[in-house]
Amino acid sequence: MGFLDFLRSKAPASMRGGRGARAVVTDEDLFDDAFQRKLEYLAIVSRRVFAGRMRAERRTKKTGSGIEFADHRDYHPGDDFRYLDWNVYQRFGRLLLRLFEEEEDLSIYLVVDASRSMGFDMKNHESQVMRGPKLAQAKRLAAALCYIGLSNLDRVSVVALSNRVRDRMPTTRGKQRIHRVFEFLRGVDAEGATGLEEGLKQFVAQNKRRGLAVLISDLYDPKGFEQAINVLRYNKFEPFVLHVTDPADAQPELNGDVRIYDVETGEEREVTITKAVLEKYEKAYEEYLKEIEVFCTLKQVPYFRAPVDEAFDDLILQVFRRGGFLR
Amino acid sequence: MHLVGIPLAQLLPIFGIAAAAIVGLYILKLRRRPVAVPFERLWERVLKDKEATSLFSRLKRLLSLLLQLLVLAALVFALGDPRTAVEVVKGRTLVVLVDTSASMKAKDGSGGKTRLDDAREEVKKLVKGLGASDRMLVASMDAVVTPMSPLTSETGALDDAATRLEASDCRADFARGLRYALDTLRGTREPEVVVVSDGGLGEPRDGLGSVKLGDVKLSYVPVGKGKRNLAITQFAVRRYPLDKARYEVMIEVQNLGEKDEDVELSLFGDDVLVDLTKLHLKPGERLPRFYPALGGASRTLEARLGIAPPPGPNVKAETDDLPADDRAYAVLPERRRTKVLTVTAGNTYLEAALLLDEYLDVTTITPDKLAATLGAQKFDVAVLDGVGAALKPGLPTLYLDARDGGPFKIDAKKPLQEPTFDTLERKHPILRWTALENVGIANGTKLVPGEGDKVVGASNEGALLIAGSRQGTKFVALGFDVRQSDFPLRIAWPVFLLNTINWFVEEDSEYLSSFKTGDVWHIPAPLGVTNEVMLVDPAGKEHRVPVQDGRAVFFGTKAGFHRLKKPQKPGEPSGDVLFAANLVDPLESAIAPKPDLMVDGKKGGEVAGFKVGVRRELWIYILLAVAVISAIEWATYHRRLTV
Repeated sequence: MGFLDFLRSKAPASMRGGRGARAVVTDEDLFDDAFQRKLEYLAIVSRRVFAGRMRAERRTKKTGSGIEFADHRDYHPGDDFRYLDWNVYQRFGRLLLRLFEEEEDLSIYLVVDASRSMGFDMKNHESQVMRGPKLAQAKRLAAALCYIGLSNLDRVSVVALSNRVRDRMPTTRGKQRIHRVFEFLRGVDAEGATGLEEGLKQFVAQNKRRGLAVLISDLYDPKGFEQAINVLRYNKFEPFVLHVTDPADAQPELNGDVRIYDVETGEEREVTITKAVLEKYEKAYEEYLKEIEVFCTLKQVPYFRAPVDEAFDDLILQVFRRGGFLR
Repeated sequence: MHLVGIPLAQLLPIFGIAAAAIVGLYILKLRRRPVAVPFERLWERVLKDKEATSLFSRLKRLLSLLLQLLVLAALVFALGDPRTAVEVVKGRTLVVLVDTSASMKAKDGSGGKTRLDDAREEVKKLVKGLGASDRMLVASMDAVVTPMSPLTSETGALDDAATRLEASDCRADFARGLRYALDTLRGTREPEVVVVSDGGLGEPRDGLGSVKLGDVKLSYVPVGKGKRNLAITQFAVRRYPLDKARYEVMIEVQNLGEKDEDVELSLFGDDVLVDLTKLHLKPGERLPRFYPALGGASRTLEARLGIAPPPGPNVKAETDDLPADDRAYAVLPERRRTKVLTVTAGNTYLEAALLLDEYLDVTTITPDKLAATLGAQKFDVAVLDGVGAALKPGLPTLYLDARDGGPFKIDAKKPLQEPTFDTLERKHPILRWTALENVGIANGTKLVPGEGDKVVGASNEGALLIAGSRQGTKFVALGFDVRQSDFPLRIAWPVFLLNTINWFVEEDSEYLSSFKTGDVWHIPAPLGVTNEVMLVDPAGKEHRVPVQDGRAVFFGTKAGFHRLKKPQKPGEPSGDVLFAANLVDPLESAIAPKPDLMVDGKKGGEVAGFKVGVRRELWIYILLAVAVISAIEWATYHRRLTV
């Protein structure tokens, strides 16, 4: 039984994926038939985008035994004579060694933020059930990227993270393994507080093989998102930030005298909600998003915003168009 | 500024307690609604800016508290009813005497309104125009004066008093009303009497002479405009003493209007038309009518007067302006058969006299059968002729030729030779319509009255005729044998006998067919009622009425049939007493309104100083200001301008 058949036997489709859709999605119907059909479509599109490339031929930053010229360096005794650039020696009289990009299959790590804030739904803020739209969107995006990666014979791993690595799916290859990804993602719940830095430190410690680390998160980290991204950068991972946002977070439907508390940390603050306060909050929220975007741009970290009310397949296509995810 | 309401000494503690409560409530922390948010740090950014203005926020909260305390202070101040010094000094004291006599029932107002309706409106206008420091009392003035409100500046109480005014069926006692008003106003500032009336009040004079107003200002608010009125000014009925199945009626009607009137006078006996007469009355004409030897009614009589309808089918008769005096009521004395026991060795005069009244069932026995007869039968009255026997409880007895053994004593030592009735108690019921002064008597016995007995007739030497009662049982004793006098040859003899029997069975020959409204009535109470009795007036309203000397005493103001209710035991026939009351007052029926009112040589002026729609009490404006401030505060709070 193929994964499509396997998933077809699951709950009926409820996710229609249109812009603005905000249904409460259960884990059972996250990856229904419609979702899988879209994955197939995305896989085909991704192959068209990256046509001409050989499978598992991904350029790496490493220089080594590939055929693509990368750079020169001075010859040192013991180097392989075969890589001396005699043309340069003839013109400049210097012994320089030609360096080539080493080609290897890419490791893709999909790091899904599974903290409570990801499961929180501002429109149902009184609900204690953490089944908000952000986590669902994150799961769909992760599944889609997984499938594309697996289709391109990349090594794919999925990690659920809060302030620690809560769960991880071991590295796997081949698109027939996508059902494992679905099962893994179905088992991911929103629990614990966000602590991306600690969680990612644990992640890099557990994964010696560097690769593309796609961080799918709302980046609601009390200690700051910067350190978390830097952890990936400093550990030679190629970070890619998929920022899951919920418009309801920007425009909470609150009024009057309230005592707000953080759904993760429980920190409380008394506030009288007025129109002016809401406007200020919306502005602060926009500034926060902007800060993240500016930081990623400055650090040359691919950043992409994924609102929950946008269809995941549209988002994936935009990711492809922008490039940077699959090189 | 003066406080005429709650004094300052009481206001300060009230303010202190209430202010402490407000501050306490203010200090209490508001319990806020908990709301979960995904990322509290974002709110922290927002609230940092707000905290920068926390000083301003605290100031706003302080201002809010101060505002509430200010509102409280205003409310407490309003409780004190503050007045300016000028107003306190200039406040008037008014007594409004509203004429509630029968003439105020005249329906000559617009839309069928009565004069009293207009009077109510006038009083309410006065109330609305009261000054801040004015005080007013509203009193109803008919035969008595009834204050309808306290002397107050509370417009609600005064309005209510005006609403409760009700016209009676009697004449207004203007002198009494004025004296009440003057007594009320004695020692007050700016005293003023306002009379609201149609002016038919007469000269204010009573037993103390004319009423003197002194410095009291008199104002007059005239009401009414109609003059057309026909009235029954007299109405009486009596049964014939010797033929009680028949009765005689006297009615007097009068045209008090200014034009000729064709009228219909109807007489109803027990609600059945007995007689209908058409009359023509000239302006001011008074016409008495007698209806002799009428029959057919056993209890009630009612006379109705109305304008004769013009000839032609379906033409509605007009009505005069005052319907209250178009009806008169009377009750015929109740007739029932009386069982009389006559104990005599043989007295033709006695037996013949008793035959005159067909309502008497007479049983005649000889003295030796007295004990056996009394044991076997029950009688209402006993007549003992020359028989000395004790008074049996519950059996009123007439002792003729009184002998020893009765409830009285006889001075046997002094037999009276040819006595005459030198003194007579003419008002006693048994002597009504009799003349005994020159009755010739051969021999008599001197009677010695007991305590409480009344000597009804006596010669110079002693009592000849006494009346009294023992444990509620009446007796009459005559101290001579009628056969040894010319008494039986006189008309007075059967009348005396029937009077005595009637007195025994409460068929009073002084019976009044109706009472006059506005008087104190002394109504014969039902038998067996001693302390008080329930009186039901024509409107069905019950009054608890005291009973004195066997008569219920009541000040009556309503015309119509009244009833004294006797508490009824199971199986016992109703002992209720029905009686009638009438207005029959030509002065009250003269309803033409008087434009001027003269008292003590002063003419009642128009009312002045009443400004409708302007309230000068400061507390009203203070409350309005508080309401406005509260509304603004509410609006700004809910628009989050002040939080």
